[in-house]
Amino acid sequence: MGAVSVKPEALATRLGGLSLPTGMTPARDAALARLSAMGLPGKRDEYWHYTHPSAFNAATAMPAAVGDNGAALFAGLDAVKLVFVDGVFDAASSDDLTLAGVSLSRLATAPEGHWAQASYGALEAAGQSPIARPWAALNTAYASDGLLIHVTGKAAKPLSVIYLRRNETSDVVLHHVVKLEAGAELTLLEQGPAASRFNHVLEVDLAPSARFHHIRAQGRDLARHAVTHIFAHLAAEALFKSFTLTADGALTRNEAVITFAGHDAKAHIAGAAMGDGAFHHDDTVFVTHAAERCESRQVFKKVLKHGAVGVFQGKILVKKGAQKTDGYQISQALLLDDDSQFLAKPELEIYADDVKCSHGSTSGAIDDGALFYLRSRGVPLRVAQSLLILAFLADTIAEIEDDVIAEDIRAQLETWLARHES
Amino acid sequence: MLEIKNLHVKLEEEDKQILKGVTLSIGAGEVHAIMGPNGSGKSTLSYVLSGRDGYSVTDGSATLDGVDLLAMEPEVRAAQGLFLAFQYPVEIPGVGNMTFLRTALNAQRKTRGEPEISAGDFLKLVREKAKALKIDADMLKRPVNVGFSGGEKKRNEILQMAMLEPKMCILDETDSGLDVDAMKLVSEGVNALRSAGRSFLVITHYQRLLDHIKPDVVHIMAAGRIIKTGGPELALEVENNGYADLLAEVQ
Amino acid sequence: MANLDVDLPLLEVREGVDRETIETVAAMGAYKYGWATDIEMDYAPKGLSEEIVRLISSKNGEPEWLLDWRLAAYRRWLGMEEPHWAMLHYPAIDYQDQFYYATPRSMAVKPKSLDEVDPKLLATYKKLGIPLKEQALLAGVEAPEGERRVAVDAVFDSVSVGTTFKAELAKAGVIFCSISEAVKEHPDLVRKYLGSVVPPTDNFFATLNSAVFSDGSFVYIPPGTRCPMELSTYFRINAENTGQFERTLIICDRGAYVSYLEGCTAPKRDTHQLHAAVVELVILEDAEVKYSTVQNWYPGDEQGRGGIYNFVTKRADCREARAKVMWTQVETGSAITWKYPSCILRGDDSQGEFYSIAIANNAQQADTGTKMIHLGKRTKSRIVSKGISAGRAQNTYRGLVSMHPKATDSRNYTQCDSLLIGDQCGAHTVPYIEVKNTSSRVEHEATTSKVDEDQLFYCRSRGMSEEEAVALVVNGFCREVLQALPMEFAMEAQSLVAISLEGSVG
Repeated sequence: MGAVSVKPEALATRLGGLSLPTGMTPARDAALARLSAMGLPGKRDEYWHYTHPSAFNAATAMPAAVGDNGAALFAGLDAVKLVFVDGVFDAASSDDLTLAGVSLSRLATAPEGHWAQASYGALEAAGQSPIARPWAALNTAYASDGLLIHVTGKAAKPLSVIYLRRNETSDVVLHHVVKLEAGAELTLLEQGPAASRFNHVLEVDLAPSARFHHIRAQGRDLARHAVTHIFAHLAAEALFKSFTLTADGALTRNEAVITFAGHDAKAHIAGAAMGDGAFHHDDTVFVTHAAERCESRQVFKKVLKHGAVGVFQGKILVKKGAQKTDGYQISQALLLDDDSQFLAKPELEIYADDVKCSHGSTSGAIDDGALFYLRSRGVPLRVAQSLLILAFLADTIAEIEDDVIAEDIRAQLETWLARHES
Repeated sequence: MLEIKNLHVKLEEEDKQILKGVTLSIGAGEVHAIMGPNGSGKSTLSYVLSGRDGYSVTDGSATLDGVDLLAMEPEVRAAQGLFLAFQYPVEIPGVGNMTFLRTALNAQRKTRGEPEISAGDFLKLVREKAKALKIDADMLKRPVNVGFSGGEKKRNEILQMAMLEPKMCILDETDSGLDVDAMKLVSEGVNALRSAGRSFLVITHYQRLLDHIKPDVVHIMAAGRIIKTGGPELALEVENNGYADLLAEVQ
Repeated sequence: MANLDVDLPLLEVREGVDRETIETVAAMGAYKYGWATDIEMDYAPKGLSEEIVRLISSKNGEPEWLLDWRLAAYRRWLGMEEPHWAMLHYPAIDYQDQFYYATPRSMAVKPKSLDEVDPKLLATYKKLGIPLKEQALLAGVEAPEGERRVAVDAVFDSVSVGTTFKAELAKAGVIFCSISEAVKEHPDLVRKYLGSVVPPTDNFFATLNSAVFSDGSFVYIPPGTRCPMELSTYFRINAENTGQFERTLIICDRGAYVSYLEGCTAPKRDTHQLHAAVVELVILEDAEVKYSTVQNWYPGDEQGRGGIYNFVTKRADCREARAKVMWTQVETGSAITWKYPSCILRGDDSQGEFYSIAIANNAQQADTGTKMIHLGKRTKSRIVSKGISAGRAQNTYRGLVSMHPKATDSRNYTQCDSLLIGDQCGAHTVPYIEVKNTSSRVEHEATTSKVDEDQLFYCRSRGMSEEEAVALVVNGFCREVLQALPMEFAMEAQSLVAISLEGSVG
């Protein structure tokens, strides 16, 4: 476990106002012990080289004005709607927790003996090696609520989680556990800003041939802070797909820790991030291939302007024996002005010989040649720019399998671009 | 239709004079050809007329139907009816060919105050035009010019021309990189668009394209100037004798 | 060359097999340069202390300012920690269990010319294939075509044995001598530029070097001068338990050009030996330096016993407009390689290039790459790295491309390929990319794959053994880098690639 440089007082201060919620006690105690051992990340941590963790280290959340939450996405979709307001489950606005093929319950009300007791925090704990992820450990220890989702067949509808925010200083910790049995299938949608400071963990355990689709749109509130972790564990022939749209937000750190434990599984993780001004967005991905013939894709694109900062840290680790691995990673940034920055560390660590692994990373301005070509056909400058920006982001949206959802996301991107034309 | 007077142009970056006083007048419905050796400034002329960055006009003028072309943004020139078929059509990954065409067509219509074309009408129109150019559905679906062969790219340029219906078309070395069959196909596409209200400026290094697209007037360009103007026979003269004699004659 | 017998069956000439390939394979065997020269040595006492620093300085007859410079570095070093961020694993180095100064007794009084050098030393270099005799040249007769002359500075443990072609180079105004000599003969130049690219505070190993460097090469190319021949330094570690800490300083003045080569070997020893060098290149307006290295220190045996620990800081400062540097390295030796030849592209329109082949076989570990720091406008850099891992080796590319806000309209292209031979080794890529302006374009591509079975089969179906085929395919994989080397070096590097992979298949 990569030790992190921290003084114990800092952690004590950070945890000062918090008390462990009830339920899942052994898992919470163990997580707290992990956290105490690793401490909080500091400036000198290699894993936090490009993103300053001070906003997460602070004892309280910085106030963030509640923005326009906008029209809900995926409105045209027949889904089971689940609403959290400032981290508190809003039963009145939510649908019933019943869905064919799915056992759905909440962390806050899970009784003793609940199936999730064996799962809660397990993937997070496993994901702490070789690199420590203190915020995930903190999440397991202190999460106030979350969804416990057990899928045995093909879920009849997607689950659509909406995180609303009404409070300027809400500091929310939510933790979801998703367990898909062999051959089961589920689509999970998440949207909204959730909190002024949001700590989010999603654990996804996929049995053989299970299929999981995840589409997330992080809220547009300008000043919100979020640190999120996805821990996915894939058995043989499982499929994991996750797409995240981040438009705005002062600081976002999205980590994904994906482990291939069974052969012939596939995991695709994609992210489109757009920031204008005070925007720091960090995608940190760690994919471990520990089984043969698995395929991983990391597709991350960022559009940055007026001093926005984009970070990508992606790693493909291929363990000894994980032959025929196919790993690919692409991180690209479009810098729309001189104040913006793109900082990337795309890593490969490979201990098996019969593999195909590659990564690409590019950064630059909009292609002048393409821009002129469009204009010479009569497309006005701004429209041409938007078209090229959307084209730049197209590879990430292509990772969304459902056309209706993809169209919603595309519309969301267009709205953002229209608002940030200058 | 297109009036170019004493046009002087230099490269912004290198401070190098490329066009040194080009004068040219193309009437409605006329087809003019500009021929000339490499480096004579032919492509520069096409880029300056269509409004590409990197060139500065130091003297002279260019007007389209009396309106100053050089003061307009590229997209406004396009909406005014100017069209450049690129020598090297640009690849735009991520933008579908159909999206590209529809966006361009509607943008031009909007600038001209015309209503947008409906999706259905557009589809019908594009299929019809594409068929004549032997452009299949797959090519229409793919991103603009990405993975297209040389011939496919040039046919795609002509398709755009057919869809956008410009009044002044500039063809920059449209024959380069084409085999005989492809040249024939492209030329047929161009000829089908010839009309009383539409003019063409065909820029080429070789005479062979002019066998297919018959010009009314042929200009010879060298060292940034038009050194000789004549009828179609001038192109044949170049074909038979090369540029050397003409250049010597002028000097 | 005891292993030659083992390879003999390969020498049966088969039709269709290239003569050169056969020779290459015949040359395969264990490390070729593993013998030692039996020679009387003078050592400074073991360990590192202020006294040792003073002793090294006095042995070199240095002025006060340089002693102070060394002492300041030494004191700083005492408070520093050895870095451990690289993907390298080795037992702790005992810095007190080393000799920091070792010199052949015959060098106590510096020979005035090569003729006075101990024949044993001359024989050592002859055996290594390094020409220390200036080829007799008749006035007006040019060297035969294709036979370029190379001036050599030969460094044996802690001292420079001699430098060839000095007089001829002097005629062109080029200064090429050992750094200890330069301190005496050209104090102003040394004082002005020493530590100006790699300051004595730079990093743990560079600071150590600043305190105890014993010798190395010094080059000055005056304005507008194209150095009339290639310059080279040949480093030989011979003494046991002795560290080598050489320091190279090259100044290429305005509009000048030089191509510089560097080679390194060491005998087989069961214990690890430390090598911590510093190379500084100062490149002024319109000047160009090509710096090529074939690093073939003893890599240790198959079990990882012995071998050189190679911790090197190399950096070029393209200080003025249009300065150009090209690093080319072939890293086949050393048990541990920690090396990142870097380019500071300070001048507008300056250019940096880095071409690297790093081969790690058996128990070797390499963590190598480059830094391209773009500070000036329209600066360009190119990185081509080819890493080959075999046996149980670990090979890491580590690099930084940084585009500062003012480095507008700059470009970087990075291609970083790794090849794995066998399933017990590792290949890793750790690039850092930092872009802080919009007009610059950065492109990075990396691939990792195994040696192509189809290519191997194709070669073998044409009569090559598996090892020959691997050598050929790997040479193809490295081609872009090999082409960047000066011709003589390219040949040597090509056969080295084959030798380094000996025993990696089958």
